[in-house]
Amino acid sequence: MHPTRQTIIGPAGKSSWHSRKRWTSTDLSLIAVFAALIAALAILPGIPIGSLGVPITLQTLGVVLAGLVLGPTRGFAAVGLYLVAGLAGLPVFSGFRSGFGVLAGPSAGYLLAFPFAALLAGFLAVLILRRAARFRWIGLFLAGLTASLLTVHPLGIAGLVINGGLEVQAAVLADAVFLPGDVVKNALAAGIALSVHRAFPRLLAPARRPKAGASS
Amino acid sequence: MTGSTHDRDPPVIEFDRVAVRVPADAGTVDAGTVDARAVDAGDGQRAILHGLTLSLTEPRIAIIGANGSGKSTLLKLINGLVLPSSGSVTSAGLDTRHRGRDVRRRVGFIFTDPLSQLVMPTGREDVELSLRGRIRRPAERRFAAVEVLERFGIADLADRSIYDLSGGERQLLAIAVVAAVEPSILVADEPTTLLDLRNENRVRETLRGVADQLIFTTHNLSFALDSDRCLVVDGGRVAFDGAPPDAVTFYRRLCAA
Amino acid sequence: MRGHGNLLGLYVPGNSALHRTPLWLKVLLSVLLSTAVLAARAPEATAAGLAVVTLALTIGAHTPAVQLGKTVLPLLPVLGLLLAYQGFTNGPVPAFVTAGNILVCVLAARVLTLTTPGQELLDGVVFVARPVRAVGGDPERFGLALSILMRSIPYLAGSLLDVRDAARARGLERSVRATVVPVVVSAVAYAHRTGEALAARGLGEDDRPTPGA
Repeated sequence: MHPTRQTIIGPAGKSSWHSRKRWTSTDLSLIAVFAALIAALAILPGIPIGSLGVPITLQTLGVVLAGLVLGPTRGFAAVGLYLVAGLAGLPVFSGFRSGFGVLAGPSAGYLLAFPFAALLAGFLAVLILRRAARFRWIGLFLAGLTASLLTVHPLGIAGLVINGGLEVQAAVLADAVFLPGDVVKNALAAGIALSVHRAFPRLLAPARRPKAGASS
Repeated sequence: MTGSTHDRDPPVIEFDRVAVRVPADAGTVDAGTVDARAVDAGDGQRAILHGLTLSLTEPRIAIIGANGSGKSTLLKLINGLVLPSSGSVTSAGLDTRHRGRDVRRRVGFIFTDPLSQLVMPTGREDVELSLRGRIRRPAERRFAAVEVLERFGIADLADRSIYDLSGGERQLLAIAVVAAVEPSILVADEPTTLLDLRNENRVRETLRGVADQLIFTTHNLSFALDSDRCLVVDGGRVAFDGAPPDAVTFYRRLCAA
Repeated sequence: MRGHGNLLGLYVPGNSALHRTPLWLKVLLSVLLSTAVLAARAPEATAAGLAVVTLALTIGAHTPAVQLGKTVLPLLPVLGLLLAYQGFTNGPVPAFVTAGNILVCVLAARVLTLTTPGQELLDGVVFVARPVRAVGGDPERFGLALSILMRSIPYLAGSLLDVRDAARARGLERSVRATVVPVVVSAVAYAHRTGEALAARGLGEDDRPTPGA
């Protein structure tokens, strides 16, 4: 099966909160622990950058990792859970911020893009890890970077324009400040994800494992 | 809801020609059990346990054996956390393969590290979580949770963060959390390994009264002697099965060899 | 890991007015206050908001000054930088509004977590999440995932700090990889252990009948 060996109960899986394939207790736990990991990385002191003080933190490292390590659906769920917890009041956003108020702040676009970044990064990571025997690090790095360029940056810029009142050009420039850090963080995330998959080779293993006994 | 389950379910555990195999490529941690080391190749599989036919009826059964011998997997077979690759396991009259969820309601499981078992920030909340399925009303649930903690003499820990408790207090709490749902069988995987002597004694004492049947693994031979029957597991099979003093003698010789 | 327990300013038992206020009312007030200061974007509103949350915490929730300090302290580096930067580029008033609004939102949310027991918050979340049942979701499992999330943050933060010490001991303190890899690997192992413990307790499993089982 998939990630989770012995918790047998029910097929684990690539599914969502409401699909017919169910998540096992271990899937649930992986999702929650990764949401907590993103929170732990996010509340390390961040560095505010640009005139609007959008902080740069390891938060985005955690987001990409969730996708690269857990795959698309569990990665999406983990980041989504993190977001919900923060919006509900748990101080898990960078700088210990929380609450619905952040949706009115300039970094709202970035936050809302995170689950989709994990989804896309996870989708690409599964493709790469199942198909490629070599250049996996480069592959994962590009997966993370692609996901980030297609989701985080466009939505982030939109947030800066809508909530921050910046001109589009100024917003693109403000956003560009994050690019170098993004490249570095995606490179790191790819290496970390590979190490994790070496330690847990079956975390993203293809579809079904034979039957139950394989469980532990 | 007091103790009714005890009378209904005879504490009987049957293993019928059980084997557990895992794919050889599953990493040790990934396979989810420290026993995954017990290598025994053949069609790309490793056998963790094989040829296991047992009937466990005694009130207190100890299981001893080296690290990686298959002890933990044997315990997890009892509550269906691990399913046999071949053969079948019946706990409290229920087949673990088809009635896994019901089996786990009757078989409590204590882990070595209580921190992986406690989910909520405080003990009272964790017991409440155990009781969620049985008591709908929050106020009643809270009251019942405090009662459970009192029964185990740890009511004073109710509202402390689980991170501020000592190892012994955490393990007592983990036992209370599991006992809250009144299992008829209690399975404990090296419950005292992380504890100092005084806490070990307290935990051993507490484990006695929780369920009709207690099955535990341990590296502490005096704990093993404190049982009605003792199994020695070695290389994925039961190497000795009998009176605890004889089992301990056998195990000592096995380790010396 | 001692001492990380209340890192997030979670529930502190008490019997204050806010402890006795129903959860839904507290949520409503906290959301209203946050929205109001953010919508106003005026220094007067921000100052009033700050006064309201401070009064709510000290008088309404009987929060001791020490606890209040612990809550605000971790915010200071970020708020300080924000104040300095905004003050330098946009002037002192916008700087005060931006930083003050963040503080209001954080403290308003903190009033909830400080004065509501975890189980009650969980019941509240599960209640609010009930509509997801219509699309086949399971609010109980969602609530459980939130509990594990809350309980894992101190564990992981502690493990990040421990690993950073270990990396320093080996002269690797500059390597982000050396600090993050062990934490992520141990987090996955920890998630597996927790998942197994949940299954053993009969928690987190899908209660709906499995087709074909």
